[in-house]
Order: sequence, then C-alpha cells, then structure tokens
Amino acid sequence: MKSAKNASYWQVDHKVKNLLSAKGVEIFKSPEAWEKFSWTRKYFTSKPKEGYFIWVQKQVDFPLVSCVSIMGKNVKQELGNLMVVESGLNISMHGTCNSLHFGCGQHKAKGKIILKDKASLKYEHIHNWGKKDSVQPEYDFILGKEAKLEYSYKMISGPEKLKVKTRVELAQKAVCTLKLVADCSFTKAEIEDELLLQGRNSSGLIELKLVAREGAEVSAVSAVSALAECKGHLDCQGLLVDPAMGGRQPILNLVPKLACKNSKAQLTHEAAIGRISSEQLDYLMMRGLSEKEAVDLIINGFLNS
Amino acid sequence: MKRIEIKKLKVSSQGKEILKGVDLSLGKGEVQALLGPNASGKSTLAQVIMGSSKYKVTGGEIIFNGKKITRLSPGKRAKMGLALAWQNPPAIKGVKLGSLIEKISEKKIEKSDSSSDLAERDVNVDFSGGEKKISEMLQIVSLKPKLVVFDEIDSGLDMKKTKTVAEEIKKELVEKGVSVLLITHSGEIMNFLEPAMTNVMVAGKIICSQKDFKKVLRTIKRCGYEKCKKC
Repeated sequence: MKSAKNASYWQVDHKVKNLLSAKGVEIFKSPEAWEKFSWTRKYFTSKPKEGYFIWVQKQVDFPLVSCVSIMGKNVKQELGNLMVVESGLNISMHGTCNSLHFGCGQHKAKGKIILKDKASLKYEHIHNWGKKDSVQPEYDFILGKEAKLEYSYKMISGPEKLKVKTRVELAQKAVCTLKLVADCSFTKAEIEDELLLQGRNSSGLIELKLVAREGAEVSAVSAVSALAECKGHLDCQGLLVDPAMGGRQPILNLVPKLACKNSKAQLTHEAAIGRISSEQLDYLMMRGLSEKEAVDLIINGFLNS
Repeated sequence: MKRIEIKKLKVSSQGKEILKGVDLSLGKGEVQALLGPNASGKSTLAQVIMGSSKYKVTGGEIIFNGKKITRLSPGKRAKMGLALAWQNPPAIKGVKLGSLIEKISEKKIEKSDSSSDLAERDVNVDFSGGEKKISEMLQIVSLKPKLVVFDEIDSGLDMKKTKTVAEEIKKELVEKGVSVLLITHSGEIMNFLEPAMTNVMVAGKIICSQKDFKKVLRTIKRCGYEKCKKC
C-alpha cells in the first residue's frame, strides 16, 4: 500500500473498514499509534479507544480522506484523533462524519491537529447527521511558526444535540481561517470556537454562519484572544427562519468575544442576526418559486456568500 | 375573454384601507397605463395583482384568463403567466442573478450575452438604478409571461434609456401578444408605448380612464392630479 496514490481512513460504527497509508503518509488506528509511538501520548488527552492517527511526513499531491459513519442503532462512538503535518508540507484533507441510519447514535470526537513550522493544511470537514443523534466534536489545532490553516466545518443536517468546540493556537506569523457553517432545524446546538493569537504577527479570521429554522436552539460563542502583536477578525452572522404556522420558533444567540492582551494587537468583529424578509420571499415567489424553494434559495445564498 | 379583470378591489394593510374599490381590465396583447401621484395606491395594486403577503384583500376579486386568482399564492400566479417588474426589488445576498434566471426559466445566460456580467453578481446587491431595471427585464422576459405589470420601470431613467426600455418591452413582450400594464409617475414611457387606455388613480380609486394618453398627460402637466380629479 505504500505506493498507493491516496491515503484514507474509513470507520463505520466501531469498525475500521479501510485504512490506506501512502508514501509519506502513515495512517494508524489511534490505539495502535498510542502503543507504537510514545511521543503521540503528549497529544492524546487519554489513551484512545478508537479513531485515527495520520502522520504526514512527505509532500503528497492528493487530498487525504477520512470518513466516520454510524450505521447501527444506538452506537456510541468515542474517537480520539490525531493528525501531525511535518514542517513545510502543504496538505489538503476532506473529512466526513455522518449517520446512515434513523436511530439514536452518539458521536464524540476529540481531535488534535498539529501543523509544524511552515506547514499548511486546507481541511474541509462535513457533518451530516440524523435527527436523533447526539454529536460532540472537539478539535484543537496547534499551528507552528508560519503555519497556515484553512478549516471549513459545514453541517448539512443537524442532530438532536450538537456541541462543537474548535480551538486554534497560532505561533509567530501563523495564519488561520476558520469557517463554520451550520443549518439547524430542531437541533439544540452549542458552538464554541476560539482563536488564540499567541505569536507575533500571527493573524486569524473566524467566519461563523448559522441558520436557525423551526425548533432550533442555537447558541454560539466565538472568541479571538490576542496575546502578542497580531491581527484578528471575527464575523458572526445568523439567520432566523420563521417556522410554518404553529411551528416552534427558533432561538439563536451569538456571542462574539474579543480579548486583547497586547497594545499593538488589532482585533475587530462584526455580528448580525437577520431574518428572511417577507419582501424577499414575495419577490422570489413572484418569479414562480414555492415558499419552500424561496426559503431554501435565500438560505443557500446566505451560507454560500 | 379579458386577460385580466379587477372588480371592485378593496385592499388594506395594517388596518388602513389603501385600495377603495378598483375596477380595471386588460385585453390580450393590450397595453394600458396607470398614472397617479405618490401614495395613490399604484404600487399596492401591482403587488396585490401578484398576491403579495403584505396586503389583505377585503373586497372584490381578480380574474386572470377567466379564473379567480384572488386567493392564490404569488408562485401559482407566476406559473399562470402573471409577472411584476418591481420598482425597488430587494437584494438577495449570495444568489447570482444568472442562477436565479436559470432556476425560474431553465434557460442559461450565454457568455456572449451583454448581461453576463450582471448575471455573475448577487441579485440586486449594489445594483445601480439602471442595472435593477435590466435585471427585472431579464427575469420578466425569461418567465415567458402572459401579462406583465411594470411598476415605475421608467423612474430614474433619462429619455434615451426610457426609449431603449420601451423598445425592449415592445419587441420582447407586446409584439408577442403579452398584455402590459405600465405604472408610471412621470408618464414619459407612454410616448414610446402608446397605451390603448390610460387610467388615473388618486387616493386608492381609478378616477379616470381615457383612450387618448396625450390628453391625459397634457391635463396632468397643466393642472396636476387634483384638477384631473375634477375633470
């Protein structure tokens, strides 16, 4: 498998269905990595039961792929994931976590992604859950000097309960863009994200776009903390969608936080919660769209703009 | 059979009566104009013809191609062939004009098309007044309607641009048998489209309907809408 032109990790319930390493990219089950590489223990918070360890040591010209699914009823996943990208490498990754059933699944993931000096990672993370699932991903990104991260988390379909924590530490001249997008109906979501600008001339941006539809209760706290001379910007945008007659009103709370501990740091933020206007709906419906088509078009526009 | 018949239409919004018994009818392929001072109810009539959720019909009815449409949703009315070019269309962030046109008409805008730059931009976001008119025209034409209400399509346009818009309406709609109701404050566009009937609305009622649009324009220019009321 060392010469394969891709590298991937695929887990269904608790079983690893496929694990494909490539030249320069080692992939192991997390418990195996814990045993095999003692140095990984400083990154795992405790001995992992399941999950992946991806170690990128050489430049590859294909995206890394991970997919973790729940298929069985009442499955409770507890993943401990670790990814290490060595210095100067430029990597992209597609991660998908989803459920392929209609039961009550639980997906807990604690992950750490280490980008060493001058490493670069473009990571697209997609979540797609069933209405009765409970999902709790917690990811820490540690960026070395001049490392670069573009992280995009997109939740296409929300579970019953969602608790997302994302935290990024940036060293000197490291750069980060964190884009979190979630479209929630009947989801109780707690979202926390934080940029810790620790290194001189580091810079980071958080872009949060949340849609709260019928029955959703969404609370998001986004924070940027400056500990050195750095630049940070926070952009929190929410969209409330009125439910159909008699439906449960959605709730959306956005809390932007800026904390500055260096007089030369530049931190800015903007936050807004909008509502789909009846004028926009009328306009699109007068073009022949149904109300649902018009609402979906406006929401897709909001999430993709 | 008339294309559209509006009978004794009464409309209110937030408890205030805006239209107080409007009667109006248009034949197939006919062009008519509706003139009136600000806040006389012209735009309300346009919105109500299309079924806007903002207004409540408290009396009368609207019949389109022989069918009562007074209680139909805007989407159903549009599917039947009714269309409205808005005076102040809302901005829709993140939705490209080109993809909206594709969605409503299943027609792609060709790259060579002069409007292709506009098609790449979000619908009505930072559009100039002229660009909004072009955008409305593009959408209207792509819907292949049977009746179009133009709400102040000539507002903010100079004479040359008004002429261009009028020629486009004639070529793309009137010559293809589409009925057109022109709502206009200034009346300039009427010189190019020569409506068969000109209606004057004041305070929520049509107070005058005249075949000679030039006569109506002259009277309004000379005496204003108040005198027109007494005519």
